[in-house]
Amino acid sequence: MSPILTVQGLKKVYNDGTTALQGVDFTVQPGEFLAIIGPSGAGKSTLMRCINRLVEPSAGKVHFNGADVLKANQRQLRLLRREMGMIFQSFNLIPRVTVLDNVLNGRLGYMNSVKGAIGLFPQQEIEAAMRILARVGLSDQAFKRASELSGGQQQRVGIARALAQNPKLILADEPIASLDPVTSESIMNYIYRICREDGITCLINLHQVEFAKQYATRIIGIRAGHIVFDGAAEQLTPAIIQQIYH
Amino acid sequence: MDWQSYQRKKRRYTVLLLAGLTGITVLSINTTGFSMARAGAGLGEILRFILVDMLPPDWGSISRLLQPTLDTLYMSVVAMGTSALVSFILAFFAAGATTPHPLLQVIARAFATLLRTIPDMVWVLLIVPAYGLGVMAGTIALFIAGVGLLTRAFAEALDEIDMGQVEALKAAGSSWLQIMGRAVMPQFWPELLSWSLFNLDTNVRSSAIIGMVGGGGLGFAIQAGIKLFQFEEVTMAILMTVVLFVGIEFLTTVLRRNII
Repeated sequence: MSPILTVQGLKKVYNDGTTALQGVDFTVQPGEFLAIIGPSGAGKSTLMRCINRLVEPSAGKVHFNGADVLKANQRQLRLLRREMGMIFQSFNLIPRVTVLDNVLNGRLGYMNSVKGAIGLFPQQEIEAAMRILARVGLSDQAFKRASELSGGQQQRVGIARALAQNPKLILADEPIASLDPVTSESIMNYIYRICREDGITCLINLHQVEFAKQYATRIIGIRAGHIVFDGAAEQLTPAIIQQIYH
Repeated sequence: MDWQSYQRKKRRYTVLLLAGLTGITVLSINTTGFSMARAGAGLGEILRFILVDMLPPDWGSISRLLQPTLDTLYMSVVAMGTSALVSFILAFFAAGATTPHPLLQVIARAFATLLRTIPDMVWVLLIVPAYGLGVMAGTIALFIAGVGLLTRAFAEALDEIDMGQVEALKAAGSSWLQIMGRAVMPQFWPELLSWSLFNLDTNVRSSAIIGMVGGGGLGFAIQAGIKLFQFEEVTMAILMTVVLFVGIEFLTTVLRRNII
């Protein structure tokens, strides 16, 4: 099977001179649930943002689904991005608009620019969004403002928005770092179950090694911008964990 | 430094400050010829003027003052609408988060600051020669001052936008226009409305002054009444100005509370 994502020699140096990533290479096969672990500031978030170019890499190659992401022009980039759903640590919902509208925002990449900007979504898109909300158990919250929901519910809206994109790949950047342990477990279950059911490949940045070991089909450990571990959960020994986190 | 020398230093500082202030005040009194006795002597005349000349209000002049009152209201509303529209566009250049180029940002900000630092009363004086006395000159003055205020306020609101929301829509493959419509505007429009209503408030307030120097409306009626010694009519005009102030302020407060 051809890989869905290939990252080669990825390097990111920020304007202030900090090197966030250096020589990062890895390949992801379709259907993998890949956890990226490492201490704060190791470059996990930068790595994820280099894949959809929310951050412009300084050097290297990113291929997604056969396309060269770093060579894409603005229009092509939009088409690539709509196939990669992103879930954020701070949810990044629009708090003043309804839950349904937030989910529909996941469809903007498929919309005409003007129609999307003024929110003229066709009826079938609205119905599809309602079905997605049902999958994350939020049907009865659809017409509430996003800001009225609890943190766990807001993250479920975040998942629904990513899902609305009909993505081939989900990039989850610390999706449970702002949640309590019980809610974290529930959110991990939602992300895992949905990715399995729909055959979506998932890259997930995690702080918690236990969650990575519990869910991931594969784990990558990052320290100071370098990959220091790449293997199955069973291979992640306490010694290696020690090495990743010092 | 020990506690005592600290205390001594502090006391010396206080004495110096008081001496300085007293010196400046005495000097200013000498220059302006101000005296408490003379200020007090005028009180009786002020009271007599208000109680005898200005009261009771000339209720019969209400019908004549209705048009100037409406003029003031129209001026304020038109100036608010137009300056909000122009400021909305200028603010996108003036805000760091949305400006197409840093140089354009500096130019837009400098322009707004220039409009803001010159008081609206001065703008009327500059405009009257071109448009003549009246509502038109007053509206333009309010418009210019409004652009100065609102461009700054809108730009600051744009700069405070949560970029996480913008990032989320960008990651979903949204176009620039879609990001503006679905991530920037939901955060921006409550600020936009709130500041515009505040501008309506200030417009009604300043239009009274602006009217006196030739901008039309109630201010002009007040000024005309004073010149013709129609003091009871002036009282009526002042009363109507107050009613208009309070009415508009009440309305904008209710509207703002319901938006935010």
